[in-house]
Amino acid sequence: MNTKAFRSFGSFLLQIPLWLYFIVSIYPLFWMISYSLKNNDEIFVTNPFGLPTHFRFENYVNAWTQFNIPKYFMNSFIVSIISTLFILLLALMFAFAVARMQWKFRSAVRTYMIVGMFMPLQVIMIPLAILVRDFHLTNTYGALIIPYIAIGLPFSTMVFYGFLVSIPREIEEAACIDGASIYRLFAQVILPLALPAIATIAIFQFLNNWNEFTLAYILISDENMKTLPLGLLFFQGSYSTDWGAMGAVMTIASIPMVLVYLLLSEQVERAMTVGSAVKG
Amino acid sequence: MNKYLGNKSALALFLLPALLLYSVILIYPVLQTVVRSFYDWDGLSTATFIGLDNFRELFSDPLLSTSFKNGAIFALVLAVFQIGLGTILALVCANPKTRGRKLLKTAYFIPVVLSVTVVCQLWIAMYDPTNGLINKLFDVLGIPYQQNWLSSPTQSIIAIAFVNAWQFMGYQFSLLYAGVKAVPEDYFEAATIDGCGKWRAHWHVTLPLMRETFKFCFTIAITSGIGAFVQMLIMTNGGPGTTNYTMTFMIYRYAFMESNYGYACAVSVLLVLISLVATVVINKVFDRGQHA
Repeated sequence: MNTKAFRSFGSFLLQIPLWLYFIVSIYPLFWMISYSLKNNDEIFVTNPFGLPTHFRFENYVNAWTQFNIPKYFMNSFIVSIISTLFILLLALMFAFAVARMQWKFRSAVRTYMIVGMFMPLQVIMIPLAILVRDFHLTNTYGALIIPYIAIGLPFSTMVFYGFLVSIPREIEEAACIDGASIYRLFAQVILPLALPAIATIAIFQFLNNWNEFTLAYILISDENMKTLPLGLLFFQGSYSTDWGAMGAVMTIASIPMVLVYLLLSEQVERAMTVGSAVKG
Repeated sequence: MNKYLGNKSALALFLLPALLLYSVILIYPVLQTVVRSFYDWDGLSTATFIGLDNFRELFSDPLLSTSFKNGAIFALVLAVFQIGLGTILALVCANPKTRGRKLLKTAYFIPVVLSVTVVCQLWIAMYDPTNGLINKLFDVLGIPYQQNWLSSPTQSIIAIAFVNAWQFMGYQFSLLYAGVKAVPEDYFEAATIDGCGKWRAHWHVTLPLMRETFKFCFTIAITSGIGAFVQMLIMTNGGPGTTNYTMTFMIYRYAFMESNYGYACAVSVLLVLISLVATVVINKVFDRGQHA
């Protein structure tokens, strides 16, 4: 073997761990999807590893009609969309006030907001549950939406702040000379300029809110108000005998996020890892 | 201009909604937790101030040592698996000769966007002792290693930690990959020209320059290990017995199942302190390397 062939063989060997981990990462999901199309006999005995021999789509029909999936989906959607929209609006306004407006305590207020980024959720869990109870919000959308907005704020304001301070000062001067009010400056100049940051934060917060589990678990007990991650929790006990339908439920629950990711993979990864730049 | 940008009513309108919500929902509860940790309180009736009694009781609570040990194991599994393996994968993947990088990165990241409930349910199925994929796989490969993964008092914590490690590998991988990419190409080339082997060059050049990335990755791995909760809850409900308890699990149990809110607040305070110490230690360790 000559050196060049040896080299490329070497780099091929080096890549083996990458493809092995590729299988470790993906195969469980492939297994889930394939068993969602099988019956118990095929899952357990005749064909545990491969593709289903006969695609049993009735598992999906069962999953969708017999379980509360549409309801959970709707709840997750409402909670995630509303909290994400409010996070974007409130965080952008806050960041604008801190990054662009002139006032005395702005750096102190910014620091105050940053503190929240380092607060583990566990430390607010108990008083928050009591607060939600005292405001009679338990088992309402508000029980999740309001905390999700508050929790999303510190991180989002910091990202927006970083973005807004880099915009040149002349923007305001031009707006002022043109006679635009500060509200118009915000809505018609700053907002469009911040669109890339808005997109990043929107993805980040939507994913977070869509998949949030712990608070939902503590604050929601009503079956009709459960979000998707919470609703799925109770399948294993009640339907453990029908693995195919279980698989279908899990696949249905995963499809939206996986699709969003596959369509926007670079933006999603950037959104999820933007935290390292801010927190690090 | 200053007057234009110092518009008081506009300032109030922009600032107050976020500030108010943040203070009421985040800062006020944090203070509440700290204050309540010094009280005997069931969440409803009047609380009695008991000083440090909650903390004294906490340090002799056998659940604390179990929880702490589990948190440490959890953190260790995350650190070794995600950062150890993740770094190797990132170094190989960042090599321009590697084919299919986009596909690999996508495949690694997909579990990150899934709901933690789906991931846990999926792994419950995979760990199933009779019908699960893992035992079946060992069977097919002819390895006589059949396990009751989730009901073993010693193994289950590792099995559960692995689920978290698996799900968020892609996240840490992306951070590490970005870290490798941020190291200037010429540094690495200079080292290989000087006669360093590829891996030696990575060891002496690439990895030390990724200090900030590692700092962040370790902080995430360690603090999420200490605070782990959801996986235990879904996969074994803290069991068998109380063997899979973590500190967050303690908080949940004392507050919401036993209505011992004051005591649960003390656990929260301790959890935050431990996370804080861990973060400071990680920072010190990585900063010391810098001056050496």
